[in-house]
Amino acid sequence: MELLEQKTDQCVVVSINGRLDTTNYAILEKKLMDLIEGHQEKILVECSNMDYISSSGLRILLMALKKISSVKGKFALCGLQENINEIFEISGFTSIFEIHPTKDEALKVF
Amino acid sequence: MQIRFPLLRFFRGLAFRYSLFFLIAILLILFFPLLIGYGTSSVLLFIQAQKEATILTEQTVARFENVLQPTELVPQTLVQAMENPNISYEEVLRIARDFVHHDTIVFGTCLAFEPFMYGKENYWYAAYAFEKKGKLNTRMLGGPGYDYFKMDWYRLPKILNKAVWTEPYYDAGGGDTLMCTYSTPIYRNLKGKRTFAGVLTMDVSLAGFASIVKSVNIFKTGYGLLVSQNGKIIASPRLSLGNKNIIDISKSGRGQQTQNAIREMITGKSGFTQMDGLESKRFPSYLSYAPVAKTGWSFGILFPEEELYDDMYKFLKVMSWMFGISILILLLTTIFITRRMTRPIVRLVDATQKIGQGDFNAKLPVRKSKDEVAQLTKAFAVMQDELRSYIHNLEETTTAKEKIESELNVAHNIQMGMLPRGFSTPENWDLFATLDPAKAVGGDLYDFFYLDDDHLCIAIGDVAGKGVPASLFMMVTRTLLRAKTVSGTPISVVMQSINSELCKDNPSQMFVTFFAGIVDLKTGEMEFCNAGHNYPYILSQGGGLRQLKIRNGLPLGIYETAEYTSGKFSFTPNEILVLTTDGITEALNTSNDFFGEAKLAASLASLANRNTKVLTELLIGELKRFSTGAEQADDITILALQYKDSNKQETMGDRTSQIKLLNQVSELDKIVLKIEELSERWNIPAKAVLEITLVLEELFTNVVFYAFDDKEIHYITVDITLVDEHTLQLRLEDDGKPFNLLEKQMDDVFTQTIDERKIGGLGIHFVKAMMKNVEYERSGNNNVVIVTKNF
Repeated sequence: MELLEQKTDQCVVVSINGRLDTTNYAILEKKLMDLIEGHQEKILVECSNMDYISSSGLRILLMALKKISSVKGKFALCGLQENINEIFEISGFTSIFEIHPTKDEALKVF
Repeated sequence: MQIRFPLLRFFRGLAFRYSLFFLIAILLILFFPLLIGYGTSSVLLFIQAQKEATILTEQTVARFENVLQPTELVPQTLVQAMENPNISYEEVLRIARDFVHHDTIVFGTCLAFEPFMYGKENYWYAAYAFEKKGKLNTRMLGGPGYDYFKMDWYRLPKILNKAVWTEPYYDAGGGDTLMCTYSTPIYRNLKGKRTFAGVLTMDVSLAGFASIVKSVNIFKTGYGLLVSQNGKIIASPRLSLGNKNIIDISKSGRGQQTQNAIREMITGKSGFTQMDGLESKRFPSYLSYAPVAKTGWSFGILFPEEELYDDMYKFLKVMSWMFGISILILLLTTIFITRRMTRPIVRLVDATQKIGQGDFNAKLPVRKSKDEVAQLTKAFAVMQDELRSYIHNLEETTTAKEKIESELNVAHNIQMGMLPRGFSTPENWDLFATLDPAKAVGGDLYDFFYLDDDHLCIAIGDVAGKGVPASLFMMVTRTLLRAKTVSGTPISVVMQSINSELCKDNPSQMFVTFFAGIVDLKTGEMEFCNAGHNYPYILSQGGGLRQLKIRNGLPLGIYETAEYTSGKFSFTPNEILVLTTDGITEALNTSNDFFGEAKLAASLASLANRNTKVLTELLIGELKRFSTGAEQADDITILALQYKDSNKQETMGDRTSQIKLLNQVSELDKIVLKIEELSERWNIPAKAVLEITLVLEELFTNVVFYAFDDKEIHYITVDITLVDEHTLQLRLEDDGKPFNLLEKQMDDVFTQTIDERKIGGLGIHFVKAMMKNVEYERSGNNNVVIVTKNF
């Protein structure tokens, strides 16, 4: 897995490339927690190149969401692949996360 | 135990112990009289010594007084003569000379008068007569250089109005000897008045006293001691004491007792007391003392305390030597006698040790007398004989037993050798069988053999009873089966024929439960006959299990005329026929529970999709685990036959895949790679691959994170089986702590708000949501999770 970070005027875009699983979720955890602790309260996670996610990855996203919600920031996801989206649906996360089809659409609401 | 050291042997022996007891007794017997004797003797010796010393003191004092008495008496007559005021000077001088001349110890006398007693010109008037070197000399004393009025010998009698002995002094000019002066006052009647007129002195040589003192001897070094009124030592044979003052000596580092004794002595008392010695070596000593009358002098005898007991110690020393020698003689005698007495016993011990080491012909010592030792030896001889014959019998019995046992081993080998081993079957058949006898030889049997290319006969049986008779009966049965089973003969006829043969010559009424079947290898059909044997199991591919509950007659060997029918069974592809004996269901564990049909069925169901060999071995393994620690009571026999789908040429190996993973998260990659590989082989769509991978990851990480409390390495086995074209079975097995994921109640993820959502538990939710079927079982120490996925 590979993480890309891009700062825009509105927020920080974190792109996940590859498989996010138990072997590497800690990398994402550190990235997101560093951003939040650095008072970056608007984060968009871009998932168009994320091929796989397991519960450990989902757990990090949930933690980030909870932290940012508590400081009244904004946390959203975008570009989920169809199979990944299904995993989100099974987990019930689609009702909790703000999920946008594309990055451009997401940036509009930030 | 054999005692190898002779000395050690002696110390542990009777001789030593008896001697020791004797020694102690003798010492006790001798010790008390010695102690009492010592005590009494020392008291007696003390009393004796006191008496002796006191008598010697008194005698010596008497000797002094005998010497002094005449000396004191003589002046009385002289003094009386001198009281005459008209006595002339010449007369006085003559008297003095006579006196000195005649008296032995008086070697000088002086008549000294008050001033002007003889003539107005004579202030001093003293006539002195003295002996020197045997010659008598006469001299007048007095003058300004020698004012005798101020001297003690003149002043004291005058003042005290009585005769006085002066302190001893060494007279250098006069006698050249230690002397002492006795002065008597002279009175004259002048003008009717008794008036002091002068003194008469006598110089007494103390040389005689010294020799008297010197002559006093008591014990070894005891000595006499003559002391003046002021404590000056007048005479003593000890040079170190010469001219010293006894009071000073007593005060220089001696004890209070010594000071008291000396004070008593000086003040003119008599007694006997203990005190320190007076010389530089202060041995504890005894002092006997008494005053010498009139002189104010005292005489003492001093002797060291140890000398008092010297003789006694000498006596004791001699006695001790005598005792010691006596004891030694007694001891040696005791040792000699006891050794003589115990020697035969020691010899007997040696002989017995030899017997104990297996030398039954060891010679026992010969004893001529008829004492206790002889009786003991006789008893030993009898025992030796008995032992010899007993061991001989035992050896024979053991040899016989060993022979039987080796024969039994041969029987076991023959029996096992008769069981067919080569499990070669046509491609679409899989056969495996095993027999594990409870004893060396058992009553179970299995058999299989080809009747022709297409027909295979399989059989399993269990003879009632165990051991050699059962195995013999089993062999007969098996021989008959081989002989009677001919291609084309219905199995029921074969069984009937075997039964009647077994019944013919069966005096011990043995019987065998028996199942035999003839399988048509082409069609998968089996004609069978179950003669009172356990129902066989049929295990289907998906784990389904049923029994062939058909009985075709009584066990073989009971009634000659018993009738037997036959049944038919048709193998569905991949079904396994499992034949067992009751050694499995009746296996006991340590708490005496049976393994039982239920457990057998459950085990078989869990062993679906294995080949017959693996299935049999796993089942035996399960059974062994169950009965760990318990003795195997009965033979255990299993025969399994599988009919494989002949249309599908692929083997199970192509449809199953196993990965063994360590309990480390990094092992996840292996799962991903394996699923990728299998997805290509088995045409699994991408979505299913994602879900299967996800489920495997969740199950695997769950085990890695929560199943083990220790830090050890564990294996997690993952079996992936393609059940059919659209069904995949995943099986995870781990040896962690029990965890049944089915019991985890999942939250309803869809109605919860963000705050209600917990961070964990999602993985199990995925497993349940994505898989068609989820099963959990605790198998031994292992968790087994089986999930199936349709795609």
